[in-house]
Amino acid sequence: MSATSPSVPALRMEGLSKRFGTTEAVADLSLAVPPGEVFGFLGPNGAGKSTTIRMLLGLLRPNTGTAWIFDVPASDVQRAHRHLAYVPADVALWPSLTGRECLDLLAGVGPGTDPAYRDELLERFALDPDRRARTYSTGNRQKVALVAAFATRAPLLVLDEPTSGLDPLMEREFRACIAEAARRGQTVFLSSHQLAEVEATCSRVGILRSGRLVEVAGLADLRRLHRAEVVVDLAAPATGLQRLADLPGVADLRWSSPVRLELSLTGPPGPVLRALGDADVARLEVREPSLEEIFLDYYGQAPA
Amino acid sequence: MTAAAIRQARRGTAIVAVLCAGMTALVAVQYRGLDGALGAESLTALAENPAIRTLFGPPVGLDTAGGFTVWRTGTVLAVLVGIWAALTATRLTRGEEEAGRFDLLLAGRLRLQALVARVLVVVLVAAAVIGVAGALGLVLAGTPVAGAAVFGAGLAGTGMIGAALGVLAGQLFPERRSASGLAVAVLLAGLLARMVSDGVPALEWLAWGTPFGLLGRSAPFAADRALPLLVLGVLVTAVAVLAVASAAGRDVGRGRVAGRDRRARPSRLLTGLSGLAVHRTRRPLAGWAAGAAAYFLLIGLLATSMTEFLRDNPAFADLAAQAGFAQLGSVQGYVAALFTLLAVVLGAFAAARVAATAGDEMAGRLTLLFALPVHRARWAVTEATVVGAATVVLAAAAGAAAWAGAAWVGAGLGLGQALAGALAGLPVGLLCLGAALAALGCAPSAVLAVGVTPAVGGYLLLVLTDTFGWPGVVRWFSPFAHLADVPAEPWNAAGAAGMVAVAVLLAAAGCLRYVRRDLRN
Repeated sequence: MSATSPSVPALRMEGLSKRFGTTEAVADLSLAVPPGEVFGFLGPNGAGKSTTIRMLLGLLRPNTGTAWIFDVPASDVQRAHRHLAYVPADVALWPSLTGRECLDLLAGVGPGTDPAYRDELLERFALDPDRRARTYSTGNRQKVALVAAFATRAPLLVLDEPTSGLDPLMEREFRACIAEAARRGQTVFLSSHQLAEVEATCSRVGILRSGRLVEVAGLADLRRLHRAEVVVDLAAPATGLQRLADLPGVADLRWSSPVRLELSLTGPPGPVLRALGDADVARLEVREPSLEEIFLDYYGQAPA
Repeated sequence: MTAAAIRQARRGTAIVAVLCAGMTALVAVQYRGLDGALGAESLTALAENPAIRTLFGPPVGLDTAGGFTVWRTGTVLAVLVGIWAALTATRLTRGEEEAGRFDLLLAGRLRLQALVARVLVVVLVAAAVIGVAGALGLVLAGTPVAGAAVFGAGLAGTGMIGAALGVLAGQLFPERRSASGLAVAVLLAGLLARMVSDGVPALEWLAWGTPFGLLGRSAPFAADRALPLLVLGVLVTAVAVLAVASAAGRDVGRGRVAGRDRRARPSRLLTGLSGLAVHRTRRPLAGWAAGAAAYFLLIGLLATSMTEFLRDNPAFADLAAQAGFAQLGSVQGYVAALFTLLAVVLGAFAAARVAATAGDEMAGRLTLLFALPVHRARWAVTEATVVGAATVVLAAAAGAAAWAGAAWVGAGLGLGQALAGALAGLPVGLLCLGAALAALGCAPSAVLAVGVTPAVGGYLLLVLTDTFGWPGVVRWFSPFAHLADVPAEPWNAAGAAGMVAVAVLLAAAGCLRYVRRDLRN
């Protein structure tokens, strides 16, 4: 694997757009992921995640814009793909080939594989490689692609919903592999629906809505930018706290009892804390939003 | 569910129906237009030639427009309808099952057997519609209704046999490709049996077991026999019942003939692109080569019955020569005429292989491959090279088989001659390969149709032009106009060079477009 300088982003997209007929699948998408980062790519079904990834891989031609893999244009697949390994959302294998034959083929054509690590991965993902692909379940086909991708040790891993067919045990193994990859300095671009998985593995996320990138931020920043749930228990009822609702960043003020109030807070907590200072506060709980709540904020509906 | 099957079959049904109606009507009208100008003598010469008999079946009722049309187009159309029905049936049963779409349907109250039966009925009806269209074409061209009905029934029956065979094969094998292969192989074995029954008097009864033989025995416009059609109906019923019965008691997604699910020793071919291309080509090649070899072995074995015929009928040689068929008077001319048909097979093989690549793309099987450092052009060129080489092997296998058959009966055909004759059709195969690659770039869903056009379309064009004396300009567009009757004539090097040049141009254009377009999924 060619060494790359830290100043060169592992992947970079500039003004990427893709239309299918009259549908705009991806619009003016610009994003850079530095090497070594584990990046979560979020969005509901049909937001354009897979389309973006397929453009990144040169499988689709963007209508406008360009993508680079370690500064190699994505259209130059022969060079660009030396730096990456890919796991598609829906893994299709030749039904008559065995899992091992698929892995041999991918290793033989690919940019180089660590066979010892591959055998270890087969063991860890509990995959029987001597079965023909037609007997594999969705999860097992996904395991083949995952084993092949992790075993390459490519500096960039592009994973498109790689765990949709995996059971919780295998999912844990997957997260361990991501952590190992991150420790080795590999970059991971992970598109996922599983917010808990992204929360556990990613340091930065991008949120896609209707083909547009609506947010790119570190997970910690994202939490700070978004509403925190504040629960206040009072020693005695305090009528003056009604004006909390008028403070900047406060929304959804609820009194579950005369001595317990809940509110959602966006932005710095200073004004609220000052207002609470006059009251007799028995207990204060500030809960940061989960990624799922952030996600719901963006879409105002159940996460996809 | 039935509606879904109808939706998936209607376009193909319409195309094949229009083709059948159009072909029969065109030939019948043209025959009338000539008003006997074809000449009884030249017709007899043509019809009595063993090579022509082997190809088109025994001529009956050539003096009527209907009889002539049936003799000239019947076998070709019956093969076309039968293969189409078989491929459609495997696509709608095993193909849908393989893609996992049966699971959804079967989650409801519908049982697998009932589902299979419904799809079978849809394809049977489609075959019937095509039969009616073929008959209608004849009736509209002014031929007697009775003969047209007999021919239409025979055509429909052949399609129905194909449909039932397709569904049956779809129950036996867990993969659509092997199911399609089996169905088509059985159908073509039926054609072979018909040829044997026509060529070997002792084996005449074989005709009663194959739709092609029964179509001939029904003798449309000459005798209009009902009994062969009745037997055809029984045959259809038997295969259809067997097909539906074998759908019972098997697991969805699996076949009755379960291949082994495990293989401990991985193939050593699968470590590179060319290895993959060879791996995926060798099995289909073995199947096609076995079929072609069987056919040409038979052609070789029949060669003496033709030389004997010539010895017994010295007048025939003169007659044939007068009619412009001098070349047919020798063993070399006879095999050359039949090697022309091999060119169609070579083209179909090449197109089918490129269509398999397009199918893999649609099924998403190439996605992982193209995520590796593999330029699409490199894959296309690798695949095209292997398919081209496989086409050569296919031609050589057919040539060697013809030689072996002819040598067995001492017909005096050299191995070199046989191979030269078989390989002479190669430019047509390459032309189809080029056309298929062009389609892979520009119209990936129509690779097979576009790919076989130079072979099938060109062959039909030549047959029509030669029969009706259309202008030479039209004839020029058929690739077969540029093939010499090897080994009776020397090889047409200029024609071959021209065709290969066109093939390379088509392939290059296709590859250029293939690298630039979006990958389908």
